Amino acid sequence: MKASIQLEAADRRTVILLRAAVIWHIVLAIAGLAGGLLVWLRAGDMLLWLRLPLGALLVLTAAASSLTALFVQRGRHSGRVLSLAVNYLGFLFCFLGGMHVLGMFTGIDSLASTFGRGIPYLGGVLAGYLISALGDRYENHPERRQMLKRVGKVVMLAFMATFLLAIGTLSGLLAVVRRFTSFLPCLLVGGGLLFGLMIWALWRRDSAVALGASTAHEQMLNGFLFLSPNLLGFLLFFAGPLLLSLYFSFTNYDATTHVSDWVGLQNYARLFNLTIAPLTTPDQPVTEALDMTVYDELMRFNFFERSFILGAQDKLFWIALRNTIVFCLLAVPLSVIPALFLANLLNSKLPGMKFFRAIYFLPSVAAVVGVALIWQWLYNAAVGYINYSITSAVTTINTLFGSAILDPQIRWLSDTRIALLAVVIMSAWQWIGFDTVLFMAGMQAIPRELYEAATVDGAGRWAQFRRITIPLLGPTTFFVVTTAVINALQLFEQVYVLINTEPPGGPANSTLSLVLYLYVRGFQRFQQGYASAVAWVLFIVIFGVTLLQYRRQRSGAYA
Amino acid sequence: MKSPHRFFALLSKLVTYVVLIGFATIMLFPFIFMFSTSFKTQRDTFRYPPRLLPREQLTATVPGYPEPLPLYYVTVEGQLQEYALVESNIRMGVYTDPDHPDVTYTLPLDEIQPTGGVENQRIVLYNNTQELLWDVPVDGHVVPMVLINQTAFGRFADPASPCDSVLQNVRLSEPVEKLTIHPGNYAEVTELQGLDRSLTNTVLVTILVMVGQLATSIVGGYALARLQFPGREQLFIIYLGTIMIPFVVLVTPLYQFMVLIGWVDKLVSLILPWIFTAYGTFLMRQFFITIPKEIEEAALLDGASHLQILTKIFIPASVPALATLATFTFLYAWNSFFWPLVVINTGNRANHVLTLSLSILRGRAADNVNLVMAGAAIAILPPMIVYILAQRFFVESATSSGLKG
Amino acid sequence: MNRKPILTVLGLVIVLSMALAACGTPATEPATEAPSEEPITLRWRTRPDNQAEIDVYQAVSDAIQAQLPAGITLVYEPGGAETSSYQDVLKTEIAAGTAPDVFWIPGTDVADFASRGLILNLNDLASQTPDFNMDDFYAAPMAHMTHNIETGAEGAGSGALWGVPRDVSTFVLYLNLDLIIEAGAPDPRELAAAGEWDWEAFYDVATRVRALGPDIYGYGANAWWGPYGVWMNAAGGGFYNTDRTACGLDSAASLEGLAFQRSLYVGDNPVAVPYGEDSEPPFMAGRVAMFQNGRWATPGVRANANFNWDVVALPTGPSGHMGDWLFWGAYVVNANTAHPEEAWQLVQRLTTAETQAMISELGTNIPSRVSQEAIDAFLTFTPPDNNQAFIDSLMDDPVAEGPLWAGSWPEFVAVMDPAIQALMTGQTTLEEFQISICAEANRTFNP
Repeated sequence: MKASIQLEAADRRTVILLRAAVIWHIVLAIAGLAGGLLVWLRAGDMLLWLRLPLGALLVLTAAASSLTALFVQRGRHSGRVLSLAVNYLGFLFCFLGGMHVLGMFTGIDSLASTFGRGIPYLGGVLAGYLISALGDRYENHPERRQMLKRVGKVVMLAFMATFLLAIGTLSGLLAVVRRFTSFLPCLLVGGGLLFGLMIWALWRRDSAVALGASTAHEQMLNGFLFLSPNLLGFLLFFAGPLLLSLYFSFTNYDATTHVSDWVGLQNYARLFNLTIAPLTTPDQPVTEALDMTVYDELMRFNFFERSFILGAQDKLFWIALRNTIVFCLLAVPLSVIPALFLANLLNSKLPGMKFFRAIYFLPSVAAVVGVALIWQWLYNAAVGYINYSITSAVTTINTLFGSAILDPQIRWLSDTRIALLAVVIMSAWQWIGFDTVLFMAGMQAIPRELYEAATVDGAGRWAQFRRITIPLLGPTTFFVVTTAVINALQLFEQVYVLINTEPPGGPANSTLSLVLYLYVRGFQRFQQGYASAVAWVLFIVIFGVTLLQYRRQRSGAYA
Repeated sequence: MKSPHRFFALLSKLVTYVVLIGFATIMLFPFIFMFSTSFKTQRDTFRYPPRLLPREQLTATVPGYPEPLPLYYVTVEGQLQEYALVESNIRMGVYTDPDHPDVTYTLPLDEIQPTGGVENQRIVLYNNTQELLWDVPVDGHVVPMVLINQTAFGRFADPASPCDSVLQNVRLSEPVEKLTIHPGNYAEVTELQGLDRSLTNTVLVTILVMVGQLATSIVGGYALARLQFPGREQLFIIYLGTIMIPFVVLVTPLYQFMVLIGWVDKLVSLILPWIFTAYGTFLMRQFFITIPKEIEEAALLDGASHLQILTKIFIPASVPALATLATFTFLYAWNSFFWPLVVINTGNRANHVLTLSLSILRGRAADNVNLVMAGAAIAILPPMIVYILAQRFFVESATSSGLKG
Repeated sequence: MNRKPILTVLGLVIVLSMALAACGTPATEPATEAPSEEPITLRWRTRPDNQAEIDVYQAVSDAIQAQLPAGITLVYEPGGAETSSYQDVLKTEIAAGTAPDVFWIPGTDVADFASRGLILNLNDLASQTPDFNMDDFYAAPMAHMTHNIETGAEGAGSGALWGVPRDVSTFVLYLNLDLIIEAGAPDPRELAAAGEWDWEAFYDVATRVRALGPDIYGYGANAWWGPYGVWMNAAGGGFYNTDRTACGLDSAASLEGLAFQRSLYVGDNPVAVPYGEDSEPPFMAGRVAMFQNGRWATPGVRANANFNWDVVALPTGPSGHMGDWLFWGAYVVNANTAHPEEAWQLVQRLTTAETQAMISELGTNIPSRVSQEAIDAFLTFTPPDNNQAFIDSLMDDPVAEGPLWAGSWPEFVAVMDPAIQALMTGQTTLEEFQISICAEANRTFNP
């Protein structure tokens, strides 16, 4: 009896709230449509790639809102889902927009300037945590445990408060409050409140019941809610830019002059514009063979005893592609194969293996920039350690065996034939440890019985390695090789820091990688449309290679 | 029959350790070089042959000279002595007897007199050219010789009795040195490039990225692992696919986006775009699906919300996975270079992260290897410490969860 | 189950948002209030090579600040030292709207900045300033500074003024006197004084020093357009044809210069530090006799050289000149500056004789104003003792480092540099170089 009265009372409130929601969505739909039209008609000087998504977003909001109004009016649950989605997005927009307008995001800069002062207090917070963690040791003394936990919590809170004070939270808060005097923050906060109110109105259990929600519906809403932070960020910072980059690759976008015209496939056509011409003699001058107003010489080759010359419009792109592939073909085996053997050695039950594993992994945790600076000096042809050890080795051998081996005096970073190799060696050095650890993880998953059985059968260690370890390690090998290849194809930092030449990628373009070329085009010459086309070519290469490897794994090539 | 078997087992162990130690040396040497160089004086860095330990040349005060003078090893009467360089660039002549041209004598030019006097110096035919003859004293008597080359020596004197001196080539003399350490390099490089600010910036950015990425990955991973909603499987596959997309594809539009909302040159541009990753979500989802469903169902029956289940059951159960993800994120955020290079201006030193400062330092202190190495050590040391602390989680669980995909 | 997790999450959110709120920038506050009498902030930037330079420029900024009327605040920001990225960063910042009002750029880059519309044409402002006289500055940089993009006219009355040169510099050879004396070679300074310092004498000194040992080199220079351009210039050639509208790398004179330079690196008697290797570390380590560099290298040599050193002018080439560069850079004004008039005032104050004296006291560059007084002062900034070498080069008709108005300088360098690299490392011959270099390089000129 009592319950039904309550339901009736609540029901009236629910009905009013749902009515309000319908009106709210109608208003929202009209506003969205008007905004969309405004953007499309009035904002003519806005760049197309900006105008299109903005307009589409507003129109989409309008459409979703009108549908919501319709469904809620008819009492369908999908109306509630749509309404919650629209209002949730609106709330987020207002909330984040408000934070942005109030300067909270860009304000991290000023937080950084005071942050250093607060770091010691963070140590205090950590100490508090340790005290409370200490409590867990006294499982038999509940009182002592309780006390330690409490003391720890107090210490943590006290230091947290001092930390916040030290980094200037208070003055920052005041500054934010003061900024509320202007119009925009108030508008956004008001909007946010309205959206929040609507979310509450529809999230309520009574509204859910009124619109016929089931547990599956609840789970769906929860699912979307939980995934939403990640998904929205992913759309905003990943999927959106990805599509934009595809769009840019069809324009001549210049970042300094802000010219952006649709040029169709012109960027790609320029990248892939190749020509082949026959040569009368193998050393015929290129100026006679090719139209030098368009093409540069890429290479010469012999085919059925006839000489040909290959020309390209964008020579540097092809050089970069070649260097990237050569790097990949050298660096991946050089890091994966030693890693496989090292993992096999480390997998034995000898003492000290953990220590070695830790050492091998160290290079992978260090920043490439730092590592490249170190190697730059090791590679120095005049005073570097690498050439010194080669010279010492050669001298030792010569005096021991009376031989006359010449000291090669390798110019690691300035010889066009060697420089890429120098990058390969450094990269392989940095990757070996990571690959080793991955292989070890894979090896530990192989059942020990197999080895025991093999030992009984009289198979040696090498045979075991070949017949058992390698085949059963197939999936791991696939993973290791694939990630190594993907990493290798994105070569940039190593060259940028280690080979410090101007223009980048020297000597004589011998270390120019695709990503470096993209950087030069997009961020030194500001041809960001063209750079985007290069990026997409790289993406397609990576995609193709990964697909190929996946196929090979399926067909058992790694087994 | 057993002993050769044992012998081979021992030998194989020995070979294993030799190989492992060899590789360990290769892996460690660059870091050892970095640390030792970071403690050197600047002049000690440009040396051939290179030496690992930081050293400084010793000096001695010699009576009659106001400044302390550098010490070198000098062989006097078959004994190695420590002498001070009192005078350099003494012009020397290299003389040879035309009758015995394979023996040369190096003597100071101004001590040698022309044969037959300045007015009518004697001439001899040597190598088909007319050469002047000079009186060169050899073992007590004077021999007329020709001047075939010139060079310069330094005068080295015993600091105790400056009259005892020898002449020899300075460049090829071995200096007397002692081991010294210059920790001041660290302070100097911090001052020069504002590395203290870069360090706190990097710490702040890394912490915020770590916290943000863990938060979004945990809730996202939970939704993908445990909550049913339309499009879940498709979304999961899309997430998986995007792990493969290289970051450079996004650089240009992401940069334009940052320009649009005014985040260029701001630290927030290093944080916010990086806290929503497909990789972290994938990792957490892989871990969450291994947790048994029974506990969770019981809790649901008790009326617990999904948020409560996540914080009370899932998070405590997945500490290793969280530690793994946190460490990976830490390393990634700490070491990232390409994006900061693009989005943070080199002029704005207040917003530099360590990797950026390092790459600028290389240009600014090109001839101060010791300073560059000190800077590199500042950037490399924290991740190493984190790695050593988190090693247990990192190596053992992390990698295997990546492999399940 | 209790409500605790929700409380925890709420607490976290509060703490986080408080932390974020802490970021409320007090710095941006003034922007919203008091628009009536707006205080002006002018930002300016140079590319310093070391801390000492940063300090001097900061002092310059403070000195000018004191002369400015109230309400104008000067902010000096040192740019990055990386040679290339300094300009790239500036362009990025101009595009993003965060660039300083006034900044220094190297002479080669003026054309690119001007034709992209990134810097302001100061001609109108300058013509209203009676005190400003173009003839006070070295003529060659000034000709480039007044290049009119539409008409191609140069000099006073062209209708264009892109900025005012800050300083000039020339190349010299830094000498390791110990090595030269040890090798028994003649002193290049004496040869130069006697007028006998030509390519042959240079090669002779380098050869003698090289004979001291396999790790001792006669000559060293870094691999960029400055060093290799000198040999072409000295032979009477150069990068471009005479009116700078096409490539001149394959002219007979340019090839003669390159041939001589190539003989230093490859062939029977390579005397130089291998091409592409950084020559500075071996020079500082006392293993290079003659190191070609500009005045900007002096502070480093002062600090690091553990041997007797001095400088000498470049040897005279077949054309009768050294072919040295007149390096220069200029202060220019951001095209999007909110305060063009104040910015122009600042440019003038940054290039007064007093300011230039302050900067050249540091010893890294030579004032851009033509004045005997400035030169006399420069000569006293020793070591090196032979500062006259820089002035001698300056007086020997140097080629002004030039912006490429008829094409794209970065693209041109991107073609030229690898080709020269291949030539100097012996990968290509002079004949191969000559065949296609200009066909390739001419594409970087405007059609």
